[in-house]
Amino acid sequence: MPDNISSLIAEIEEEQTLEAVREALSRETDPLSLVAALRDGVAVVGERFESKEYFLPELIMAGEIFKEAINLIDPYLKGETSDSRGTVVVGTVQGDIHDIGKNLVVTMLRCNAFEVHDLGIDVAPEAFVEKVRETGARLVGMSGLLTLAFDAMKNTVEALEEAGLRDRTKIIIGGGPINETVLKYCRADAYGKDPTEAVRLANSYLG
Amino acid sequence: MKLLHEKDTMTTEERLQAVINLQVPDRVPCCPFIYYFAAFYAGITVYELWSEPSKYRMAMEKCLNELGPWDVYYPVNPRYPELYTFIMPMKAKWPGRELPVNSIHQLLEEEVIKVEDYEWIASLNKRIPRLTYIPFYLKIIGRAWDDIGEGWRTYSHMLPRLVRQLTTWRYEFEMMKRKGVTTLYGFLPEAAFDTFSLGRGLTNFVRDLRDRPEAVRLAAEELTEGYAFACRLITAITGVPRVEIFVHRSSNDFLSPKTFREVSFPSLKGLVDRLVADGIRCVLHLDGNWDLNLETLRELPAGNVVAQFDGPTDIFLAKEVIGDRICIMGDVPADMLCLASPTEVDEYCHRLIEGVGKGGGYIMGAGCEIPPNARAENVRAMIDSVTKYGYYQT
Repeated sequence: MPDNISSLIAEIEEEQTLEAVREALSRETDPLSLVAALRDGVAVVGERFESKEYFLPELIMAGEIFKEAINLIDPYLKGETSDSRGTVVVGTVQGDIHDIGKNLVVTMLRCNAFEVHDLGIDVAPEAFVEKVRETGARLVGMSGLLTLAFDAMKNTVEALEEAGLRDRTKIIIGGGPINETVLKYCRADAYGKDPTEAVRLANSYLG
Repeated sequence: MKLLHEKDTMTTEERLQAVINLQVPDRVPCCPFIYYFAAFYAGITVYELWSEPSKYRMAMEKCLNELGPWDVYYPVNPRYPELYTFIMPMKAKWPGRELPVNSIHQLLEEEVIKVEDYEWIASLNKRIPRLTYIPFYLKIIGRAWDDIGEGWRTYSHMLPRLVRQLTTWRYEFEMMKRKGVTTLYGFLPEAAFDTFSLGRGLTNFVRDLRDRPEAVRLAAEELTEGYAFACRLITAITGVPRVEIFVHRSSNDFLSPKTFREVSFPSLKGLVDRLVADGIRCVLHLDGNWDLNLETLRELPAGNVVAQFDGPTDIFLAKEVIGDRICIMGDVPADMLCLASPTEVDEYCHRLIEGVGKGGGYIMGAGCEIPPNARAENVRAMIDSVTKYGYYQT
């Protein structure tokens, strides 16, 4: 049954995935195995996105199906959680309120068993520092669509340095104008061109 | 119209026409997309730039006199924030209103087009096929701006503002002409398909593409006649027989090439074909990566369209695939204008001129707009490159 769920979400079959989850829960299938199955399916979606078989709509729908399925499973988890691969703090940087890409990254990271603290939009450097300190996160993801985000990203990196948190924290950046040049300017560790790359970077840094 | 530089043998309008015709001009024209940058360069606030036409003109003239001149004026200066909705049909936060006076406006991914609007458009098109554009857009504006109100309130609020905008533009385009600078377009609508993507909100629209792609395609096609009529009318008022069509969400960053071809492209081609038949040339603003859509673009009428790319598309590949049919514009990247040296900008522009400008059919420009925090010396390097490297040997 979990294999079936993996295939269904990989095929972006919304109703059938949710029906399969309901059915499995009614037969007292281990809820954590269902979560694992959903994650396996989303991993396939990520692979198909990278090979350009799938595009953004499939990625978005996979995330939507995953969220809906988790909502069905949550009441059965009884406080159990699957092992987290690591803690990540994500936000759109100060002065920028665009969040499509950031929201997709958050969803895909959660689909891949990362614990994600989403700070939202227009996030000041101090807020990133505070959340890293509070959660012990070893990975920060910063998003920005405007070129004005370059300085906000740089300032956030510097704020983490001043707080003595930089050495133990990896920083990845992303957004429309972000590339190697911006990466060097901001002194972050890596940049991702899409949500699947963000997941790959998270796996490499925290896996 | 006077010549811009001593070595020129064409006016800027003749040069622009030549490149769109895919002929070899005297030199490569330059069209920097400047709006927010002008505020930062001239030392006024963004709020002043767009709400006070005299300050906008001062800032633009300062850029033209100190960094230019350049060939083609790219007008994005909505006198009222609601008018920007014609380009980006979304809710927005605006400098001097919801945002500090020196902020960039920001768009909100919230629903202003409802799923029942697809059918409403079909019924509107049956009743008033040539007049759909204004009622459709005023409906969106009424929903996007809470303080205006819907229905007749939107009409009474917007129509005088639209008239003021068009008369402002007419005056500005004439002013630029007296300086020897031609204007890229006389109107700038968002493509119908992309209007739905922006106005529905991305997640809703993704569901629409899954659950009702035919309804989306048909609704976009239903709007084509109305869009074409609005373009004819407004370009006649502003005096520039060219239209910029924003295609913000049909790149491969958003759609598969199959979905672009089957759902988005029919209405885009329908609009371009109608406009070209009426003597109105089209500039397509193509954000994102279009590499996998280039072959489909070949179906557009040759020698009548400009494709403006903003960096993610391989512009050199675009030249190979569509350069024999479509004039190409772009694509000095935003990060280069902000962070690189003038020498690096100069080198890249030289490469663009040699590669994409080969045989004509090319307009030098930034990828999208000149970023507000671009270095002035880099903007100057881009503009200077066309007189340094852009003259064709005859």
